[in-house]
Amino acid sequence: MTLRRFPSIALAAAALALAAPVHAANTLIPAGQRIAVAGSVLTVQPDAEWNRLGVRPGRYAERWTRDGDQLDALTFYGGIADGKTLFREVNRKERPLPRVAATMLVTDIPILLENSYRVARGIAAMTIERVEPARFAGSDGVHFTYSYIRLDESLHRRGEAFGAIIRGRLYLITYEAPALYYYERSAPTARRVVDSARV
Amino acid sequence: MRRLIAAALIVSTATAASDPVLPPYVPAYQPTDVDERGAWMIADEEERRLRDAPEVIRDPALNAFVRDVLCRTVGADRCAAIRLYIVRIPAFNATTYPNGMMTVWTGALLRLHSEAELGAMLGHEFGHFELRHTVASFRHRRSGNALLAWASILGGGFALQVATIGGFYRFDRAQEKAADLLGLRYLAASSYPASAAADIWVRAMAETDASAIGRYRKPDQRYTAGFFATHPTDLTRATYLRAAAAAIGVHGADEAARYRAAVAPWLPRLLADQIKRNDFGGSEYLLAQLAADGWTTPLLFARGELYRERGNPRDLVSAAGFYRDAIGRGDAPPEAYRGLGLALLRGNQAEPGKAALRDYLRRKPDAGDAPLISTLIAS
Amino acid sequence: MVVWLLVGASSASAQEKSGVKPGFTLTPGSAHIVLIRPSIQVGAQSTAGMFEPNADWTAQARDALGAALRTAERRLGNDVTDYVEPVGADAARLAEYQALFDTVAASVIEYQFFVGNRLPTKKRKDQFAWSLGPEVATLPGLAGADYALFVSTEDHFGSTGRKVLQIFAALARVPVTAGVHRGFAGLVDLRTGDLVWLNADWQMGGDVRDAAGAEKRVRQLLAGFPGKPAAAP
Repeated sequence: MTLRRFPSIALAAAALALAAPVHAANTLIPAGQRIAVAGSVLTVQPDAEWNRLGVRPGRYAERWTRDGDQLDALTFYGGIADGKTLFREVNRKERPLPRVAATMLVTDIPILLENSYRVARGIAAMTIERVEPARFAGSDGVHFTYSYIRLDESLHRRGEAFGAIIRGRLYLITYEAPALYYYERSAPTARRVVDSARV
Repeated sequence: MRRLIAAALIVSTATAASDPVLPPYVPAYQPTDVDERGAWMIADEEERRLRDAPEVIRDPALNAFVRDVLCRTVGADRCAAIRLYIVRIPAFNATTYPNGMMTVWTGALLRLHSEAELGAMLGHEFGHFELRHTVASFRHRRSGNALLAWASILGGGFALQVATIGGFYRFDRAQEKAADLLGLRYLAASSYPASAAADIWVRAMAETDASAIGRYRKPDQRYTAGFFATHPTDLTRATYLRAAAAAIGVHGADEAARYRAAVAPWLPRLLADQIKRNDFGGSEYLLAQLAADGWTTPLLFARGELYRERGNPRDLVSAAGFYRDAIGRGDAPPEAYRGLGLALLRGNQAEPGKAALRDYLRRKPDAGDAPLISTLIAS
Repeated sequence: MVVWLLVGASSASAQEKSGVKPGFTLTPGSAHIVLIRPSIQVGAQSTAGMFEPNADWTAQARDALGAALRTAERRLGNDVTDYVEPVGADAARLAEYQALFDTVAASVIEYQFFVGNRLPTKKRKDQFAWSLGPEVATLPGLAGADYALFVSTEDHFGSTGRKVLQIFAALARVPVTAGVHRGFAGLVDLRTGDLVWLNADWQMGGDVRDAAGAEKRVRQLLAGFPGKPAAAP
């Protein structure tokens, strides 16, 4: 069927899923305590219980969930430095990911996320919807919403993110869930975690 | 019978391709054996999904144009069997399913230069359909994948799981060649020149090399196909297609101007999708190809976006230059001022940057990102 | 597909297979249950684990499972009727809910049933809190119904080559499963959208292509169905 060889995006997506060990232990994040996330100076104080997944999406990232990352995922990217990527690169040679730059403007943050998703996960149907200024972790940053469909899946997913460049590093929190029921269900709790963020 | 046609095509290359009489076409084919029915079931499911999928472009003018080129290439009776879907994926590809569904990816529309080239691609795809290739590939892949599975057990590692996906619709090398050559016979019988098919592969090779160089690698285009490769290499294809086209002789018009006009309304969006691929070298090559007859406003704007996104200090200077060139042509979109302003801001030219962003907001006060841009002007 | 296989391979051991929302009971004869059209897919698994769909088997399974479910409906102790499928935009909504049900069921298996990867909040004794959301009741044709019963099965029959590979793989300590036979059945409370009962397993028995096997599969799918009279087989 294919007209020519091209790197299989499905393959890349599968490799992404395989890159991480399945058995790393998940831990409880209790309500009401301030906690550092993604091995960085970014701290948050959730007002409800969350689970931290043992599998991390990248060296500078960490993921929380209430019902499993297929149903709701709160992902922290903690102080990604100049030249680094958002998550693990599956194929640096053929499918390199976009890199953070210290000179990035807030307008570049949604583009970095979208392009990273497109390259790493082969998501063709992704749309950035609303982009607006926002305070995040004590700095001027950006808030944006988006929607996408994962490869080989028919479930519509929605997401929103808050991010800022603080002292040349990218701090970003994303919240994503299926558009049906789950997105609205956990969004208020997720937003309160974001509101509590400090650097 | 059909298998025989395919075999004959593989054996006799140039002579078969230059035969102006097309093989008789059998409409309303139905799947016969168990593999074939399985493949049809999945194809029908995929088509049901695609009918409402957000990534399908429904613009009637663009759809009519692509279908018209298909019909001109393979003839009215054949093209009636096909349902065409234009899918917004920025890679160079088109697909054929056994049930008569065909997809053309927008990445192909960006890379082709004329109706004749589009016809060559669609003719190749229709060749797979006419030769009922999917089913044969299903059986071939079974043995190829089995080999990979065994290799991974013996060698260990994750290759096993990875080998299990990737779709079962991929054709093998002999099938690709058979489809190439049948596609060439459609071109020979059409109003398009047969030389178009080889041109596609020459540019495909150059783009792959440009991508590699852009990623600071040596151009490592393998010009001989590896053991597991399902497709003939681009070089092999360009060579046999060129020879076969020479045997057919020069005829017809490639209709490059008509192609450019039909794709023009979509060009800015196709370029924007390409730039999101994080492939600087490949994108630069494509832009240069498209600008062979001069840099137009959409091409200059896209080049500005490409350089601004890579964002090295020198890139920001170049980007600002491209945006200014686009603006100088008088028909630039408001986003050219936005790009100019952001490139200047990132390049530490705060005041001119803010001035350009103010120009942007004056031209597009209700822009979705207006509040965010305002904060950049105020800071 | 691969993720299914991988998870299936690693979680086959030590896990629960069903859950019930605490406090949920279903008195026989008290409820109207609508059976959503089951999602059924059957094919072969080649040596490499590639799924090869088989339309004949799928059609056979649809007939066999359909007949077995109709027989089983009479034994469930409540009024069970087949869902009348919507068309057009509503068909797309139904498909999205079926996808959501599959995703929720997979999440329950991965994060609650499978001990090795449990979420701490899902670990607590006597808790089973999963939902499709209250809006599921707005699907057309569910008015007047109390519960919706979702059923999904996916079967990949291992080829001989796959089974031989499995034996050698075991020697090399690489987990390889021959065949995938996953099945989910879940009862959704239409007042809340909550999943009140779920039975889900990556490795189910019963060859869904014939009557006896389909009956066995349906028995396994509906094992522990709440409110079933104890005397039923």
